[in-house]
Amino acid sequence: MRKVLGIAGLLITVCLITALASEHFLSPFNIENLLRRTALFGILGIGAAFVIVTGGIDLSIGSMVCLVGCLVPWLLVQQGWPVGAVLPAVLVLSLLLGAAHGWLITRLRLQPFLVTLCGLLLYRGLTRGITGDQTVGFRGGFAGLRWLGQGRIELPGMDGFALPVPVVVLVVVAVLAGVLLDRTVWGRWLQAVGHNESAARASGIRTERVVLGAYALCGGLSGLGGLLFVLDVGSAQPVDFGNFYELYAIAAAVLGGCSLRGGTGSILGVVLGAAVMQVLRNAIVLVEAIPDNVEYAVIGAVLLIGVAADELVRRVVAARRRAKAA
Amino acid sequence: MGAPRLQARGIGKRFPGVVALADVDLELAAGEVLAVVGENGAGKSTLMRILAGELRPDAGELLLDGEVVEFASVRDALARGVALIHQELDLAENLDVAANLCLGREPRRGRWFTDPARERRQARPWLERVGLDADPSTIVGDLPLGRRQLVEIARALSADARVLIMDEPSSSLSLTETERLFGVVRELARQGVGVIYISHRLSEVEQLADRVLVLRDGRRAGELHGGEVTHDALVPLMVGRDVSRFHQRTPHEPGAVALQVEGLTTREHPGHALDFTLRAGEIVGLAGLVGAGRTELLRSLFGLSLPVSGRVRLPAAGAGARAGHGARAGGRARAGALRDVDFSHPADAVANGLAFVPEDRKADGLLLPCGTDDNLSLTTLARDRRGLCVDATAARRVASAAIADLDIRVTAPDQVVELLSGGNQQKVVLGKWLALRPRVLLLDEPTRGVDVGAKAELYGIIDRLAGAGVAVLFASSEMEEVLGLSDRVLVMHEGALAGELPREHATEQGILALATGAGAATGTGGTGTAGATGNGGAAGNGGAGA
Amino acid sequence: MSRSAPALAFVVVAGLWLSGCGGEGADGAAADATDPLHGGRPRVAYVSNGVDAFWVIAQAGAEAAAAAVDCDVSVHMPAEGLSDQKRILEDLLVQQVDGIAVSPIDPVNQTGFLNDLAARTTLITHDSDAPDSARLCFIGVDNYEAGRLCGTLIAEALPDGGEVFLFVGRIESDNARRRRQGILDVLLERASDPERTDADVSLSGPRFTVLGTLTDQFDRAKGKANVEDVLSRHPDVDALVGLFAYNTPLILEALAGAGRLGEVEVIGFDEADETLTGIANGQVHATVVQDPYMYGYRAVEILAALARGDRSVLPEDGFDHIPARAIGADEVAAFRAQLDERLGLDG
Repeated sequence: MRKVLGIAGLLITVCLITALASEHFLSPFNIENLLRRTALFGILGIGAAFVIVTGGIDLSIGSMVCLVGCLVPWLLVQQGWPVGAVLPAVLVLSLLLGAAHGWLITRLRLQPFLVTLCGLLLYRGLTRGITGDQTVGFRGGFAGLRWLGQGRIELPGMDGFALPVPVVVLVVVAVLAGVLLDRTVWGRWLQAVGHNESAARASGIRTERVVLGAYALCGGLSGLGGLLFVLDVGSAQPVDFGNFYELYAIAAAVLGGCSLRGGTGSILGVVLGAAVMQVLRNAIVLVEAIPDNVEYAVIGAVLLIGVAADELVRRVVAARRRAKAA
Repeated sequence: MGAPRLQARGIGKRFPGVVALADVDLELAAGEVLAVVGENGAGKSTLMRILAGELRPDAGELLLDGEVVEFASVRDALARGVALIHQELDLAENLDVAANLCLGREPRRGRWFTDPARERRQARPWLERVGLDADPSTIVGDLPLGRRQLVEIARALSADARVLIMDEPSSSLSLTETERLFGVVRELARQGVGVIYISHRLSEVEQLADRVLVLRDGRRAGELHGGEVTHDALVPLMVGRDVSRFHQRTPHEPGAVALQVEGLTTREHPGHALDFTLRAGEIVGLAGLVGAGRTELLRSLFGLSLPVSGRVRLPAAGAGARAGHGARAGGRARAGALRDVDFSHPADAVANGLAFVPEDRKADGLLLPCGTDDNLSLTTLARDRRGLCVDATAARRVASAAIADLDIRVTAPDQVVELLSGGNQQKVVLGKWLALRPRVLLLDEPTRGVDVGAKAELYGIIDRLAGAGVAVLFASSEMEEVLGLSDRVLVMHEGALAGELPREHATEQGILALATGAGAATGTGGTGTAGATGNGGAAGNGGAGA
Repeated sequence: MSRSAPALAFVVVAGLWLSGCGGEGADGAAADATDPLHGGRPRVAYVSNGVDAFWVIAQAGAEAAAAAVDCDVSVHMPAEGLSDQKRILEDLLVQQVDGIAVSPIDPVNQTGFLNDLAARTTLITHDSDAPDSARLCFIGVDNYEAGRLCGTLIAEALPDGGEVFLFVGRIESDNARRRRQGILDVLLERASDPERTDADVSLSGPRFTVLGTLTDQFDRAKGKANVEDVLSRHPDVDALVGLFAYNTPLILEALAGAGRLGEVEVIGFDEADETLTGIANGQVHATVVQDPYMYGYRAVEILAALARGDRSVLPEDGFDHIPARAIGADEVAAFRAQLDERLGLDG
């Protein structure tokens, strides 16, 4: 819980400063955009979180986004598949690819970093091969399907503001993920494996299946993210679609309180972490004083300051608590 | 003669909420072996860390050769000749012996490069001094634990240590390794090094120490000299009450066969087939030197390590045991019949009524940063689930039952396991199995690093479980434990079963003879012979081993 | 033993698959290297600055020319930017091709490297020029003039002037810089000067204000987010201009999301499908198209002639200008038909 407070504090601080620096930050249109982008990256972050809780890592998220993001319009437009076949196909595909990572990691005992790094290369290469390196897009069609990515739900009594559909998807995913992680037996096992895989195994837990499930879930959520991304943007370029998104996802998960050493994680924290990243990127465009080309520097500096402040506050609190106890 | 080598006067140390040490005095002469004993939490480690410069005392002063000193750091203490060897060794396991010896003081070639050849040359005399015959270029991680300990001692000596503090050096050593360590310690003392030795094993203290300092609750509880050092004199000082025996073994009538092993060969020792039987209500000790294959045998039985060949048989379902959970075992057979099982995963073993307490509780037994309750209910989550979800009520019930049953001392059920004492942690590792009502309990070094009081409690628990019909197989390097707890002792030697001794014939000497291979010829067939050997050597308690 | 069998099988299959791929590549390279060099057909290479539909059209042109003048052309599209392009060019040198046409990604800093290339093979540039290098000629649109054409289209869409925002993938490439400068000089009603470079600040002329230029480094989601953020920050912006082919479709996506399609004027470059559709249904005012088909065609034609020793094909001033065209509502249907024909998509 404390970890979530830290990232929530950072989010509020960044929002406040941006709102003071730009009158447009709190405009309904901008809020909608921020919510939608947070939803898209948040879904990837949740997938990354499951893997990170096991003490692993998934570097293939961006390439999985690319694979699904390109396959969807390619199958729909170029291959003429029906929507009802494409959606299950790409989601199952990403789930299976994730499970394959898990299998390689648990059965062949390969390092997660290595397996998913190969995934990163493999899926992007495959996508470029399949599409012939061509930009694929919906060509203005499939408005109904694209509602999932860019639709808005008018809320009664909210003038000028509508809820982006991906936010609804994120909420559903986050609630399910939260229940899965904190309430189910499987989630407990996942955390146990992250804390001490050897002890979990010696307690009779089939740790291999648990870890495999985490990677499958991460793959599936990356696929879902890729689907929503391409539905939102409208076209995808195999070369760079989703490039580096794994880093945004991992950053969101770690900012949200997932320790890279495994064991702990908070879904709410991950979503807040994703939001911080998106607000920062938004602020760089909105705030006049920040030149666009220092974007990464600003993101890096703010995150560093935020994490350092969080750690310092934690120490002060712990010291005070000790002093009180003594 | 003059001032003692090391002297501590009126040492006090407070941690938040705890007085760790209060007004403790200590003296160590050159060439003396001083043992410091006390239950866990008595302040031994804190005192040692102060002596070695890891902690600063809140009160009192340290004198080295009669001069008041203040150690700013471990480095500072080491520079003045005081070295501490931790229970968990501080060696870089991926480097070779010579590199470890020179760590931080590497001889250089030019300004930037190491000089491995010179490192090895420098290392040799120190290795000889501690009697370590390993090549200096051996990777430390490839050495057995006992030899790593010697590397660490050699490192301290090479830094010109004149006071050597050893925190439970023998806790993970086999009998011969411990004997060798004692030889080194005595030799060092003879050469004028002052040695402070911390141990839970009172028999070792009896053998080794010139003087014993007993701590209790951060204070001096007493001091014993030379001849006064006996088990019966030490224990009351340590626990503050008269504990005449560690444990009372209630005699059990062994029941039906609970586990039968036929021709089992393990990965580590594929050349030796193992055959033995465990009966319900029986406690069987597994003795042997480190590396004899005890741990591997237990791990193979529990599905943590895949056996190469052989059969493991359990009572068929319905043969007087808990029904259900018979995951891989076939069919319903008549009562008393046995069925073959093949555990490819601990989950299979658990489903068939086995439970395992691993040797290293921190590495393999506990989720250290998690609550006691979470650790205790880990094994029952799947059984007690509601749909896909955790049944939190059932989990709480399981945890509090175990806490009450085993008298696990926690401030709250969700207290983080890492903060518990070794004894309570060990109870947690054992306690997580109780709710599953196992029929076979496998224990690997069940009381390692546990204080005297908690040991007695653990023995009581094991005894009680056996009384309730659980078959217990435990591996231990502590002779007193093996002798005191077992109905029967199986002795292993280099992967093979060297012999079996019933309780009434089991003696320290008999076991040692089998374990070192000396009694191998007679061991298997003649328990009588082994027993006779034991009787012959029973008088000379201190002279056991090489 | 049986437990490790699937694992073993996997490793074997993966190994075979990898070695199969490697083998194929190696065979191809070997075939190229043993090809007799000056016996008959010249071998030339056409290298783009990235991967895009635009280059597919150019490829069609290059291949059509190769068939017409009887030579072999290999078309390469570097996927990972500058270093990838350099690697490809070096590999082409190793294969001893008779001529290379390249669209340099970073002309100023690549000049030295391009000179090395020019010393060892016949080098021409296309699409984006490297004027200080030893390339023999440049084929392409004068991007400054194309920018000026775009500026006049903006002025045509907004007769009373207004506020304009520009979007581009990368501003450091010469074509992006010159396009932007052309637009600025027309909107700010200044004299023509291709060498002028304005900083990225809000610039105001008598009628128009150019609020700024945002880059996305080819990240589509970022490109769209840029447009959205500009719509937030400047709700009253009058025209949005996409300088690279994919920018205009992203502008349309963002406007659609904001429900403002048709309210804000959109002017673009190049002929992305969505851009042309937008023109047809009135959401895009117009687009400035180059003629990538002709880039490819002329490049191969010139390289092949040079390989045969015919230097008369080189233009006197070193510029083989292929003029840019404006495609508005009136021209879009005919243009599309021609495009489909060249890509072989008609029918």
